[in-house]
Amino acid sequence: MRADLDLAALRARLAGGDGPAFWRSLDAVADTPEFRAYIAEEFPAAARLAAAPERRGFLKLMAASFALAGLSACDGFDGRRHELPYVNQPERILPGASLSYASCAVFDGFANGVLVTTRNGRPLKIEGNPDHPWTRGGTDVLGQASILGLYDPFRSQAVQHLGRPSSWAAFRGAMAGFLAAWRESGGRGLALLTGPITSPALAAEIARIRAAYPGLRWFSSAGVPRDTLYEGARQAYGRPLETLPRFERARAIVSLDGDFLDLGPGQVGLSRRWIEARRAAHAAGGLLPMHAAAPTPSLTSAKADHAVAAGNAEIAQLARDLLSLQEGGSATLADGPLGAWLKGAAGALAAARGAGIVTAGLAQPAEVHALVHRLNGALGNTGASVVHVGAVPLLGAEPVPALAEAIGRGEVQALFMLGVNPVYDAPARLDFGKSLARVPLKIHAGLYADETAAYADWHLPLAHPLEAWGDGRALDGTVGLIQPMIAPLYEGRAAHEILALLDRGEPGDGRALLRDHWRGPDQDDTAFEARFSEALRLGFLPDSALPVENVALTGSAPAPAQPSAPGDAIEVVFRPDPTIWDGSVADLGWLQELPKPLTKVVWENVVALSPVLAGRLAITTGDILRVEAAGAAVEGPAWVLPGQAETTVTLTLGYGRAVPDHLSNGLGYDATRLRADGGWSLAGATLRKTGARRAPATTQDLGTMQGHDFVRVQNVGAPPAGETDSFRLASFYRAPEAADPGHERAWGMVIDLDACIGCNACVTACQAENNIPVVGREEVERGRWMGWIRVDRYYAGGLDAPDTHFQPVPCMHCEQAPCEVGCPVEATVHDSEGLNLQVYNRCVGTRTCQSYCPYKVRRFNYLDYTGAMAPVEQQQRNPEVTVRARGVMEKCTYCVQRIAAARIDSAKDAHAPIPDGTVETSCQNACPTRAIIFGDLSDPGSRVSAARQDPRNYALLGELNTRPRTTYLASLAPAAKDG
Amino acid sequence: MAQLFSPGADAIYRLTLLTALACLAGVPMVAAGIVRSDYVTGVGVAPPQPAPFSHKHHSGELGVDCRYCHTTVETQATAGLPPTHTCMTCHSQIWTGSDMLKPVRDSYARNEPLQWVRLNRLPQYVYYNHSVHVTKGIGCSTCHGDVTTMQMTYRANAFEMQFCLDCHRNPEKYVRTPDQVWNMNWTPPPDQATLGPKLVAQNHIRGGERLVECSVCHR
Repeated sequence: MRADLDLAALRARLAGGDGPAFWRSLDAVADTPEFRAYIAEEFPAAARLAAAPERRGFLKLMAASFALAGLSACDGFDGRRHELPYVNQPERILPGASLSYASCAVFDGFANGVLVTTRNGRPLKIEGNPDHPWTRGGTDVLGQASILGLYDPFRSQAVQHLGRPSSWAAFRGAMAGFLAAWRESGGRGLALLTGPITSPALAAEIARIRAAYPGLRWFSSAGVPRDTLYEGARQAYGRPLETLPRFERARAIVSLDGDFLDLGPGQVGLSRRWIEARRAAHAAGGLLPMHAAAPTPSLTSAKADHAVAAGNAEIAQLARDLLSLQEGGSATLADGPLGAWLKGAAGALAAARGAGIVTAGLAQPAEVHALVHRLNGALGNTGASVVHVGAVPLLGAEPVPALAEAIGRGEVQALFMLGVNPVYDAPARLDFGKSLARVPLKIHAGLYADETAAYADWHLPLAHPLEAWGDGRALDGTVGLIQPMIAPLYEGRAAHEILALLDRGEPGDGRALLRDHWRGPDQDDTAFEARFSEALRLGFLPDSALPVENVALTGSAPAPAQPSAPGDAIEVVFRPDPTIWDGSVADLGWLQELPKPLTKVVWENVVALSPVLAGRLAITTGDILRVEAAGAAVEGPAWVLPGQAETTVTLTLGYGRAVPDHLSNGLGYDATRLRADGGWSLAGATLRKTGARRAPATTQDLGTMQGHDFVRVQNVGAPPAGETDSFRLASFYRAPEAADPGHERAWGMVIDLDACIGCNACVTACQAENNIPVVGREEVERGRWMGWIRVDRYYAGGLDAPDTHFQPVPCMHCEQAPCEVGCPVEATVHDSEGLNLQVYNRCVGTRTCQSYCPYKVRRFNYLDYTGAMAPVEQQQRNPEVTVRARGVMEKCTYCVQRIAAARIDSAKDAHAPIPDGTVETSCQNACPTRAIIFGDLSDPGSRVSAARQDPRNYALLGELNTRPRTTYLASLAPAAKDG
Repeated sequence: MAQLFSPGADAIYRLTLLTALACLAGVPMVAAGIVRSDYVTGVGVAPPQPAPFSHKHHSGELGVDCRYCHTTVETQATAGLPPTHTCMTCHSQIWTGSDMLKPVRDSYARNEPLQWVRLNRLPQYVYYNHSVHVTKGIGCSTCHGDVTTMQMTYRANAFEMQFCLDCHRNPEKYVRTPDQVWNMNWTPPPDQATLGPKLVAQNHIRGGERLVECSVCHR
């Protein structure tokens, strides 16, 4: 973004109806000549060369290119000189055939059911588990990226003692003496620090240990704690509870900084239930409207039909006003956008008594949660459209500050830290690293030798969930089983195996521990064996969801907090990062290079502020800001974020890691330094420009298309927004044969924009399936981001409260593809099933196709992005997909390898038709809201054919007559008069 | 003024010119010849293997079926190499003391795989599937040659794209009846000209159109 962008002028332009209806960035609204030149310049990096045509240099380069071109044909060593068969063929493992196991992806202790595809004994891809009662076939970005986590070269690979390589035997030897002493003293001075635990087996292990060592104190730490949820329930009901919205029974949703669609342990299950309810409402001719107020835009507020920006104090006030309105009182907020929003939300809730949902996110304080519970109670929603189950994680641990105090008093002689990184994520005021120095024996177990490991005497490598036995609960309480897909790559052991050391004197065997736990005391061997095998096959224990609890409100509504000083004071809100969460996965390149859903920034975090505040302080995107509060400060690049509450500034967690040589080292700023007490907001901060500028790397303007109506909105009751005939315009050219349905399979895709929540699961799933390289921040800045499917984020309306739309854009597989016209070597051609193919071995890299593509979905390998990958990371590659070399164009193939597999199966079976749903693209499989439908358009009974008949169906840039095979369903919005 | 050039100068000049032209044309031809030669492609060259396994003896003389060892040829993309266990099903009973079989016994005893030298290798952007070819009536020997005559196994064809395309364009020349797929000495029967097209139609083989589309082999 330019430094001299005039926000007031932009606002006026949009308000005057002079600006674009849908826009991606402020630069696009400003539409400066520089921005136009940037868009017109197809290859920003090549422009530099073209700008200074120097004949001699050009000739030299060309001569060298020709001379060296032949070298690229030379075969390198490819590791295939020998063939090694097994000595004894393991059962069910067929060379090259894929084999799928049910397991769970662990998210902050919560276990979301997934299927893991393995090939030749190597786990390669996470797929959704359609049978799992909570996730029901969807996945999230962290689940998808966990496969990279297994092969991450930065993982801790050995036991370390005082920073030097050691061994488990040495560790066990060293512990022998301590164990005897602890047993004698009843564990006095012994402390255990764990992350959130939902695993019943681990919980039992901890209970056993606490019984064996009565003096042991157990503490819990989390980068993103859920304490506010449980404390809110405690205030309202007297005990900690999970709150589960029942969208299928709802007719109105009010979200007070809710986060049910945002990345989190519940995202997959909650977003699926939400979209199904919304689809059902639409099928019945209506809409399941959502009213959302949030201090900073989130995926939840972006999908709201009526969104408003409100600071945290205002949100608490909104909750209070909603409650008072339900009880017949009056509201204090009556004017302005907040008053209008309040009126709408209160009206919707009143009209849907017993069928409304009021929800708040984990970043809201307990008081707001308590108010929300009272509100749901007053509306009769509790027990109907909002239900409660017991808290899923094991509660009862003391918090980290208590641990710091105990250390300060010298009460902790030995500290076990399992899978946590308190030196990085504990509240800044504790200065946990310093207090650790006062503990005589510090043992840390983690996937990474992280900041905490640097302070520990012993560091033990933890096994990755894909290489360990275990269990855990999903948000609804469903118990999922975790089984290893591969023997541990390094010497890692699971947390419960390490804890068994305390219990039994030596590390246990994960499988035996798990079986022992689930085996009833008097259960017969064969019966247990059958039950356990069946549970492993399914990946979960059927009907193990926690029962709905009857709740009764206790006490009275919390007293209003002291209103914070109005005026110029700036409120800082903290959020988990939308791609790297709390930073525990910060070493995964896929997640670092995944554009953040709303800012599209990669490889760093930004200081998000509202256009109003930016205008007032003369800040533009890219100014390095200094945010100060309570004596601490962080510096980061500004990002002017439309839809942000006026005087709030958003900082995201997870960055500013300081582990030498790791991928995450030195990226972004560490927001925890400002988070003195671990809270989610901080009033009274100051903000100033440092004078430096560094534009964040973002992909928001990459792939800017030229045309109109990219995103369409269907108002309920309005004439159809789609135009099914738009891609059947008259043309001078003969229609390609494949366009004739019925003649051959015709693959096509429909993407429902109403269902897309912008969560990025499809992008990461595509990366995992199709061997898409990570290119790094500098390359992204040059416009060389490689993802085959991008999620465009569009704003509509004014700068301060725009509507937000997400639009995933893969290759459209145009029936009349412009790219094919341009290729001089026919490296991009059509096949008879309608796929627009990219033939890597033909491609000579002219990039003409890329410049001819109106959708900007082609990606070019400017450098050798794959050759230097760590050997262990290469193990993740899908052997069914070519690893592209330098100088080759690539793009979405509709997962041609999956189509080919189905086609070959059908060919072997006397060309039996491929049933609808047999071929699922990777993005489709990953999507938690089932926004992507893929199938055979020539089959009138397929779901994709049905979706194409939807009146909301439209083709992107259909006026170009490219006849894309990928089409979109317009997003839904309330009837225009309410809007 | 004396003659600058001798009477033979013209001839030398013409000869030089001719030689240069010949080189210009010849070098690419020689290069093309070399890259297609057996020396480079490895056709007909039997590399030393950890155990001197003879297809001629096992398959030709004893008549062991291909699928006894290459078990996944009808179901998977790869035909599969036999695990050491398969060798030992017989060789734990016969030739138990043979020196030639020592590497096999060692592999079994030490649980270390035999390291066979790979003969057939396709470029990494080519995805070949054995199962669909044998199901549709393409026999082993069409690509792998008559292994029943190979004492030590060698590569029978260079597997250049031309080789694949020949069949993908004209499958009727090569397609066999199901009982002939495993016949290593198959030669086209006299009625192949009528039988071939019939089999092609029967097996829904769409040579020349669908089978030459890039996505059939390249992904």
